Amino acid sequence: MTTEQTYETVDMMLNMGPQHPATHGVFRMVLTVDGEHVVDVTPHIGYLHRGSEKLAENETYGQVITLFDRLDYVANLNNELIFCRAAERLMGIDPPERGQYIRVILAELNRLASHLLFIGTYAIDLGAMTPIMYGFRERERIQNLFESVTGARMMHNFIRIGGVKEDVPPDFVPRVRALADDVQRGVEEIDRLLTFNEVFLARTRGVGVIDVPTALSCGLTGPGLRASGVAYDVRKDYPHEVYPYLSYKVPVGENGDCWDRYYMRVLECYESLSMVRQCLDQMEEGPVMAQMRRIARPPKGEVYVHGENPRGDIGVFLVSDGTDKPYRVKVRPPSFCNLVALRPMMRDAYIADAVAILGSLDIVLGEVDR
Amino acid sequence: MTEQQPPEEQAAPRPAAHRGPPVEVAAEVLDAQGERTAGALRLALRDMAIESGGRDDVPWVRVARENLTRAVDSCVRSPNLRVDMLHCLFAVDYEERIELNYALFSLGKGHKALLKVDLPPDEARADSLTGVWEAAAWYERETHDLFGVEFDGNPDLSPLILFEGFEGHPGLRSFPLHDYEEW
Repeated sequence: MTTEQTYETVDMMLNMGPQHPATHGVFRMVLTVDGEHVVDVTPHIGYLHRGSEKLAENETYGQVITLFDRLDYVANLNNELIFCRAAERLMGIDPPERGQYIRVILAELNRLASHLLFIGTYAIDLGAMTPIMYGFRERERIQNLFESVTGARMMHNFIRIGGVKEDVPPDFVPRVRALADDVQRGVEEIDRLLTFNEVFLARTRGVGVIDVPTALSCGLTGPGLRASGVAYDVRKDYPHEVYPYLSYKVPVGENGDCWDRYYMRVLECYESLSMVRQCLDQMEEGPVMAQMRRIARPPKGEVYVHGENPRGDIGVFLVSDGTDKPYRVKVRPPSFCNLVALRPMMRDAYIADAVAILGSLDIVLGEVDR
Repeated sequence: MTEQQPPEEQAAPRPAAHRGPPVEVAAEVLDAQGERTAGALRLALRDMAIESGGRDDVPWVRVARENLTRAVDSCVRSPNLRVDMLHCLFAVDYEERIELNYALFSLGKGHKALLKVDLPPDEARADSLTGVWEAAAWYERETHDLFGVEFDGNPDLSPLILFEGFEGHPGLRSFPLHDYEEW
């Protein structure tokens, strides 16, 4: 008779972050691993908490826009837009049409810049060094345009309650047309280089799959939800600004894996470019700012407004007590809710895929922690 | 990759640009979609609603704290409403009460609604919705951090965006903005 010695096995804890380069900021997750498999993941956030919501209660409405710039620092103009829309709903202001077109052009270009950043960094996460050069080259063109229009490369503070700060420079339309052509070429180049690359497919296909009920339960929105097959796009479903006058498609995936989430963003780049071109065609001369008092004092009341950010569905809940400062500002950050979906996505994944899954969510920690 | 959807119908023709003063939008009034949602809400919560209102396409209904889980349950089950997503949870400190707002979305039916619950500040306690939506866990932890609201049934209310050992609840109006000293 031989005696079999049994060894007790325990799951190992693996700490990743907050200084890990693939977490795209100060994000930490504790992986519980069994061999090469991830059994569970506990995300830790809050390293970048600046109390933006609390600060906003002590700033005037005009000043709050600058705080929104700093939430999702890759998609500043989209953030400004959502706050201004919320304040406009409270005040009953409808911005003039040219202002709305400028807003949409800038917001869509910002979405492009954000997606290009995602494509570049996602490729780096997976070990492909080249696409980030292409992505940043195109993003730089867009940032240069933003600089000429708003005066700043990142913290624009350009979209204001009631319209935009000022009219665009005289060479704006030809410049954006040229830019759109350049960026279109650039996106096509990245698309050809990366999308159907054998290694890229092997790393992303079938990885981090999430089904629709789980995605909805986690509050996943944006390209992540569309990759799972839900055609939910706020611009389409609850149209605002001049989006109803533009014709565009909402790309929808079917597998809900990392590759789908990546490819949704590539397709959205094309749609955004087409939207920008349509806006340029339709835009007419006119005022860019509604007639209103210099200091915004919305009447008492509350409003909940949401819109489509590059990362998902951003919501703003604004309570006014009739003074020049908001009583309460609450942001529903898309990255925060997308991170909830990390746990079901990671279950039973390989450790090596953890970075691929986290990268495919495209989180911005400034927005997660606020 | 997936086939593209069938081509979308052509975009609506653009009306002539309006010039002159901005169009006044009526405040605190529900639009057609909001009325539909409000109707569905009234049906789903007919015995629980205390107060209701709304703006644009987002109606709201206030229910008693004890009825929160039951109200959410009937919103999820109601065939007209079919709430499938907890879009957000936010607390507002009105000093004499803490108001919890649950943003309930139905992506399938296109409904958006707010469910409000009032809590007394000295006993800020509500039932957890973690059993219904996974997303509720983090929203509740955040609200617990910032407003000190206790959620019965949430298994983990450890600090999410504040650090371990932080004292006080920065979301409350009584929390000082400038006099707070960390060291």
